[in-house]
Amino acid sequence: MAPVTLADISLARHTLSTLPRLAGLRRACLSARSEVCIERARHVTAFLRDLADPAESMEIRYARAVSHFLRNKKPRFFDANLLAGTTTGKPFGAPVYPELTGLTIWPELDVMGSREKNPQALTQAEADELNEEIFPYWLDRTILEHTRHREGNPPAMRLFERIVFFLASKAGTISHTVPHYRAALEEGLESLIDKAAAEEQRLQASAGADPEKAEKIDFYRAVQIALAGIIAYAENLSREASRLAALEPYPDQRENLQKIAEVCAQVPAKPARTFREAINGLWIMQVAIHAESINMAMSPGRLDQVLWPWYQRDLAAGRLTTEEALELIGCLWLKLNDNTNLVPETAEELFGGAGTVPAVTLGGVDQDGRDAVNDLTYLMLRVTELLKTRDPSVNARYDFEANSRTYLERVASVIASTKAVPALYNDRAAIATLVRQGIPLEHARDYAIIGCVELAVAGRSYDASSSIMLNLASALELALYAGRRPVTGDERIGPDTGEPGTFSDFEEFWQVFRKQLAWLIGQAVELNEQLGRSHQELLPTPLLSALFEGPFGKGRDLIRGGALYNSSGATHIGFADTVDSLSAIEQAVFVDRRFSFERLLKGLRDNFANDAELHAYLVNKTPKYGTENPAAQKNAERLLGFLFETYQGYTNYRGGRYRPAYWTMTNHAGQGKLCGALPNGRKANQVFASGITPVSQAATGLAGCLNAVAAIDPELIPGGEAFNLKYPEVESADDLKRFADAVEVYFRRGGLHIQFNIMDYQMLLAAKARPDDYPELLVRVSGYSAYFKDLNEAMKDEIITRTAYDLRTGRAAEFPAGHRNLLPAQGAPPPTRPATPLAAARSAITRNPVLGLLMGRFLTCMESRAADDFLEILLELMGLAFLVLPHYRKNIENFDGRYQFLSRDGHVRTGARFRDSRLERRETVSDPHITILFKNGRALMDFLLTPKPDILGAMLRQEVTLDGNLNYLYKFAYMARRLQLLAMGRV
Amino acid sequence: MKEADPHLPIVCGLYRFSLDNGPGIRTTVFLKGCPLACRWCHNPEAMSPEPEIFFRKTRCLGCGGCVKICPRQAIEMRRNTVFLHRQRCDGCGRCARVCPSLALQAVGSQEPAAELVELLLRDLTFFEVSGGGVTFSGGEATMHGEYLAEVLGLLKSQGIHTALQTSGFFEPVFFEAELLPRLDLVFFDLKLFSATEHRRWTGRSNDRILANFERLARLAPERLRPRIPLVPGATACKENLAALATFLRRCGFTVATLLPWFPGGREKRRALGRPAARGLSHEPMQRAEEDELRTFFNRCLTKKSTDP
Repeated sequence: MAPVTLADISLARHTLSTLPRLAGLRRACLSARSEVCIERARHVTAFLRDLADPAESMEIRYARAVSHFLRNKKPRFFDANLLAGTTTGKPFGAPVYPELTGLTIWPELDVMGSREKNPQALTQAEADELNEEIFPYWLDRTILEHTRHREGNPPAMRLFERIVFFLASKAGTISHTVPHYRAALEEGLESLIDKAAAEEQRLQASAGADPEKAEKIDFYRAVQIALAGIIAYAENLSREASRLAALEPYPDQRENLQKIAEVCAQVPAKPARTFREAINGLWIMQVAIHAESINMAMSPGRLDQVLWPWYQRDLAAGRLTTEEALELIGCLWLKLNDNTNLVPETAEELFGGAGTVPAVTLGGVDQDGRDAVNDLTYLMLRVTELLKTRDPSVNARYDFEANSRTYLERVASVIASTKAVPALYNDRAAIATLVRQGIPLEHARDYAIIGCVELAVAGRSYDASSSIMLNLASALELALYAGRRPVTGDERIGPDTGEPGTFSDFEEFWQVFRKQLAWLIGQAVELNEQLGRSHQELLPTPLLSALFEGPFGKGRDLIRGGALYNSSGATHIGFADTVDSLSAIEQAVFVDRRFSFERLLKGLRDNFANDAELHAYLVNKTPKYGTENPAAQKNAERLLGFLFETYQGYTNYRGGRYRPAYWTMTNHAGQGKLCGALPNGRKANQVFASGITPVSQAATGLAGCLNAVAAIDPELIPGGEAFNLKYPEVESADDLKRFADAVEVYFRRGGLHIQFNIMDYQMLLAAKARPDDYPELLVRVSGYSAYFKDLNEAMKDEIITRTAYDLRTGRAAEFPAGHRNLLPAQGAPPPTRPATPLAAARSAITRNPVLGLLMGRFLTCMESRAADDFLEILLELMGLAFLVLPHYRKNIENFDGRYQFLSRDGHVRTGARFRDSRLERRETVSDPHITILFKNGRALMDFLLTPKPDILGAMLRQEVTLDGNLNYLYKFAYMARRLQLLAMGRV
Repeated sequence: MKEADPHLPIVCGLYRFSLDNGPGIRTTVFLKGCPLACRWCHNPEAMSPEPEIFFRKTRCLGCGGCVKICPRQAIEMRRNTVFLHRQRCDGCGRCARVCPSLALQAVGSQEPAAELVELLLRDLTFFEVSGGGVTFSGGEATMHGEYLAEVLGLLKSQGIHTALQTSGFFEPVFFEAELLPRLDLVFFDLKLFSATEHRRWTGRSNDRILANFERLARLAPERLRPRIPLVPGATACKENLAALATFLRRCGFTVATLLPWFPGGREKRRALGRPAARGLSHEPMQRAEEDELRTFFNRCLTKKSTDP
């Protein structure tokens, strides 16, 4: 147990004025524009395509590819940060992972730098390189398409691609974990390489008939290859720092570079000797992990514990001042902000504004259950308070017995100051939850947060905590409409469970709902297993495995179950809306018997347009989760219990159990947009409540709300939960005390997680109306932090409408009367179809008269309302462009692609085959890579071409449906858009 | 559905996580019924002990469910909304239960003592963590003495801190025997020192109130907390404050709380079908004026007894 020695734990005397380096770096960080970085994609692709030996196992090949990239990764120094290492080759970069979802930006390569929301810039040369060199290699090799091919386009995948039932995150990421940095820093990577080599030799020499011997040998070899890459990168950083130091005119920066050169010559190859070496070593490893795994929620863990020995030693030896330590921590915090995700336009709607969510965890207890809060905890809190940046996502653990109340109140004051972070976790509940999952107590006590809110046994568990995101309201709709959903039309998707009008009691409806839900979960799990196998086949993680406890002993990669503990996380969207809808059905149809099921369904179909009585009754008179109403509580617990039992019954491809969770990122906004009216009175296309939070404005009392959420058994939520609470203000010492009291009560009553936004309705409304006045407004979404201005409109509205509880009265503050149409139960009109910006500037870019003529027809078609002959003209134009424009023809050199287009009414049936640098058209192509079913020409055009492709909207209106390898569609969309830009004279 | 029990008072408010009615985080219980009729009352729904109905016409959807269910034909349909005949209504609340839009709402509900305590115990952790408890208010909670004594007894047996807000208009013997031993704090409101003025504004003389205060000041001064609402035009004048200060000093008090007053209760009066209160300001008191009165009052309270 480390004593707290600071005289002032708030470190108030240290500010951004006394830490000018941090002030400067922070300014740059907040104004940085994101850029796409293709460096990793270039090297990894080139290696696998041109240099890899196909005779070697994928474990070795991928390790070599990662190592190859790390060796060739340019060492860069963009600023005066004390730490060396950059995630990408840009100051604020979005790396491309073509193995996963990198190809989804293909259609947008020419425009993503200029899009309105969160643009991501790249040069024409970089765009061309992706289009011509990098992406084509991956057409059939991405995780998703590899799986589709192997499994024969399975139904579960088709279901996933409808977006509105569940998301299979493994197509885009596993990451989401907490590595074991302390061991690597203490030992140094050279020592880990030696150990791996020794294991390899021991196995080579052993005569035993271990069936996994070859695999194990490959694993140990792969570890050595991958780690050597990290060391090479650090050496390059050291050399570059020395070179730059010699050229550096400013003494301060020269000294900094010289110091960096020394540090990088030591770590992470050799043991870290100082606090600075430990921090920089950790950062270089964090950078290196992203050479292998995508930058999503790769979480550094309990940094106040991990870095403590070095901090304490340096301080004792007089080598480090508090000031210097704060500066180094601040430098790490800002480095963790140096990268972002690559986000195509459509994903903006689902995930907009998210950072990469590297979670840092502070405080709590140590492995013996004693108070683990130390001076470093307070230093890190102070840095968080001063910087107020989106990342890292800072989490504070609190054990109400072991930790001091002073610590809790300090955390509360940081939240009051940042208005959003840290999030708080109840140690008692979290540890018990992990123990129930079979984790030994001392390891459970060392838990850290992954990404949003998920629980990891730091450095020991591989949790793939974001494997499935399942929309609970979709199961509810399937139950209401006998296997159909309004958003997917007449097609029966789930099991036919009968019309609810015939159900005799609520139990019967519950059984039907359970059946739909169980079916959906089965589909989601099946697809996750299939994708998991693809990760095992294509994307082993020897580098990450070396930074874990478990793989070394087992001789097995994390992806094959090498970690000490394994699990897969499945999180749920629409929890509170679903619970309230179940309670509303029970109350309205079966308890009060006031409305028949037919009348309820008619009301839902009409979005309550003709039944104000029904709507008012559902909103006002049915049980609400978050109010301690026993019926609501019963349905909440029943649903949680069912999900827990169901998921825990599944074992994943790594031998771990599935864990249900309740956090939603921004998906509750995105999925809400695609869901019909619900029995709780929520109108169609309105947002759902976030995480495990009660529906906005449904729970009007703070005490009842805290009690109701705390009453949920956290052991049923091993995957983690996000409970969002909003207070209009926390200003006085009394406010802070109440704030801390409320948290403590919630925890003593068993609550697992809680996080806050300290902001009132008016301020948020103003920030939506005038984003430029609030450039740094940081908000807690549902597990991560975001700058409010970066969020999509639906998500902004969701945050605005969250119930704000006045800490002085315990009651919900009055929602501004003029804005009640933002409330989900009131419902603004459904999203309108975005106007299609038309070809503004026509241009005679070509001297070829036929091409010019066709381009004119193309533009005229774009401007016409119906655009009936859009496809006809597009393909004709494409064919001609391939003939006469050599640079355009490059798109299909060495490309073989088969496309089948079908209009829904059957009038259009067109096949297109790209082969031998030519386009052949015929009515039907055999064995198409992808089939595109569209409603009409206009729909197809909007889908492919508008500057803001409205894919969610197209889903809503069921205008375009896809079947097959999506990468081929991305490529086609790129070529189509390229033509559009050519015609408009934009390129 | 609970049947009406003439012996049970109506709980017309349960404010949880309330902070202004004693130490820590508290739950304040409002019991319906008050012997006084202060014109400035914020809680007009707590004045009568009888069951009542709030009716807010703007919320009415005109579904007519209430018309059908009312056993006394007190509700009729007029155009697209309903009309409530108050003189026929006995406040049974059936209409409120079927009203989907909350246009009709019963003022509170009867809660047997044990059930009320169960509701209060939901917040036990709040009380424990914050050093809070339960405060009774109203109305005048002592109007329901036996009930109150029972609830207080159950709370004390759980070790919960208890407080009472009272107008001081109660029967002292019962109070001292049954309630005071179960109370940790008594917030005692003094309004007007002049008996005539008191009668004019509250409908009752203050003889009993002042006498009760004097007795409590002797019996349990450490638990007694005098308070004075600052109602512009009524209590908030120097003459009254000086007289109350003298009275308080005579009882041994040099500290008392002045409660700011805000115009409120008008909307609720309308919803109860009552006329608006007469002679009251529509504006809260100006900050400067309030500060001046506070200074004046505190000077009166603390000046030496030899002063004129």
